[in-house]
Amino acid sequence: MRTGRSGSVPLLTPATAWFGLFFALPIAAMVVVSFWMVTDYKLVPTFTLANYTKLAQPLYLSIIVRTFAIATIVTILAALIGYPVAYYLARRLKRMRVFVLTLIVLPLWTSYLVRSFAWMLVLGTSGALNWFLQGIGVTDEPVRWFLYSEFAVIVALVHIYLPFFILPVFAVLDKLDHRLLEASSDLGAGPWTTFWTVTLPLSRPGISTGCLLVFIPAAGSYVSPELLGGPSVLMIGSVIAQQFGLVFEYAFGSALALTLMLGILVVALGLLRIGRVQGLK
Amino acid sequence: MTRGHGIGTFTLAAWTALVVLFLLLPLFVIVAFSFNDSDFPSFPMRGLTLKWYWRFLESEELLIALWNSTLVAFATMVLATTFGTLAAIGLARSGSRTQKYMRPMLSTPMMTPRLVVGIALLNMFNLLSMQLSLLTVIVGHTVVAVPYVILVVTARLVGLDPRIEEAATDLGATRTRVIIDILLPLLRPAVFGSALIAFTLSFDEVVVTFFTTGTENTLPTTIWAMLRYGITPEINAVSTLTMIATVALALGAEVMIRNGGVHRR
Repeated sequence: MRTGRSGSVPLLTPATAWFGLFFALPIAAMVVVSFWMVTDYKLVPTFTLANYTKLAQPLYLSIIVRTFAIATIVTILAALIGYPVAYYLARRLKRMRVFVLTLIVLPLWTSYLVRSFAWMLVLGTSGALNWFLQGIGVTDEPVRWFLYSEFAVIVALVHIYLPFFILPVFAVLDKLDHRLLEASSDLGAGPWTTFWTVTLPLSRPGISTGCLLVFIPAAGSYVSPELLGGPSVLMIGSVIAQQFGLVFEYAFGSALALTLMLGILVVALGLLRIGRVQGLK
Repeated sequence: MTRGHGIGTFTLAAWTALVVLFLLLPLFVIVAFSFNDSDFPSFPMRGLTLKWYWRFLESEELLIALWNSTLVAFATMVLATTFGTLAAIGLARSGSRTQKYMRPMLSTPMMTPRLVVGIALLNMFNLLSMQLSLLTVIVGHTVVAVPYVILVVTARLVGLDPRIEEAATDLGATRTRVIIDILLPLLRPAVFGSALIAFTLSFDEVVVTFFTTGTENTLPTTIWAMLRYGITPEINAVSTLTMIATVALALGAEVMIRNGGVHRR
């Protein structure tokens, strides 16, 4: 397969052309437009930093901070919830493994719109959770802050992206050389010491990939916060969408979108670094 | 199962069961409410009915949306599978330098929030004064789907024995012949599997569609618009149907990708 180098160019052409025309070019156009301005609902080519200085306004700063805070919380929760599951599947489960993995992957095949919407049914004042809590007598009145709150957005985002954390960690743990674990316990390490000093450090590439796959879509999410966050929980995605859908502020919207991408890029590079620092292999 | 576990297997199993419940229960709530004989989705449920499904079948708006979704998903599937498969083969045959830069580059749309993909396209179409339609939706969906196809087909290519290709070349097959007669049949399970992935990805996509469509709606954007006016029982029925359809396709893709191993021998 390493032969015939020259033959690869025509094979790569359609995908590369599509990528260039409909991904790289639009992003480049967005960079340009972010320095333009909008007058009378029309884009005016110029060079201004106004769209970026506008980002420093407290309103937008707080939205940016909230967005990255929510994405971070979602990522940490997904890691804490997902790691034991991946560990169990990879190290302890034998026969039912494919079945359980299928159950975990299954929700990924339903649309994120449907999965966000499902939480409206679960968390609402007359939803499943309140009905259950009232039924077992934990509360008399329906709990209101379940829905249209940061709580709702975080729960839904963890739900939607959790499989993306479990899968890469499972893949790494599954391939882990069990002789290393045996060596560790032969040398007198207890199960916890082995876990902290061998298993966990070796699963770092999986953890970093998993965090990446959760953090990126969570930071850029639009559907879940719109449906579940209510007016007080604005995330950057909703603000970007407004600029393009409602107020025709394409220039400011572009600046916001690029800020989001830049923020994501910084976090992604950091996570990749964490994943790569590894003595073995 | 060697000696001494830090945390008992039972604790881990119970935790895993809880997480699986957490992942699946919300979806069951939708299914349950889709049969609920009440205009308002609240517990406890009233009684069973199929009327929300009939409403769906009687709604011209939803049926047109279903047709649009299918059309877009089919076109996306054909384009993305073709481009992605060719690219995966091309990448596997190019030098390590090309691979080092091309692989991450071609996979960036997968790592970009869908919202950004959608508005970046909208912005460009707007600058070019291009008319938005289902065609522009297909363009956007294909951008998102190609990296997934490359990923799945590459996974299969890596497992192939390079000597098969070498043998064919030694026996005088041209490069095109090798691809058509040797590689594609060997890659068939991965290609079909990734085609189903591309189809469902497009069929379920909301955000890219929302920003790149003109006046036409697909099923997800119709649901999205309906949700703005509150939850209606029809949404539960439509969601249940799309879940069944996509999960059926998903299981098909799973079986195809996994059974790929059988032909390999």
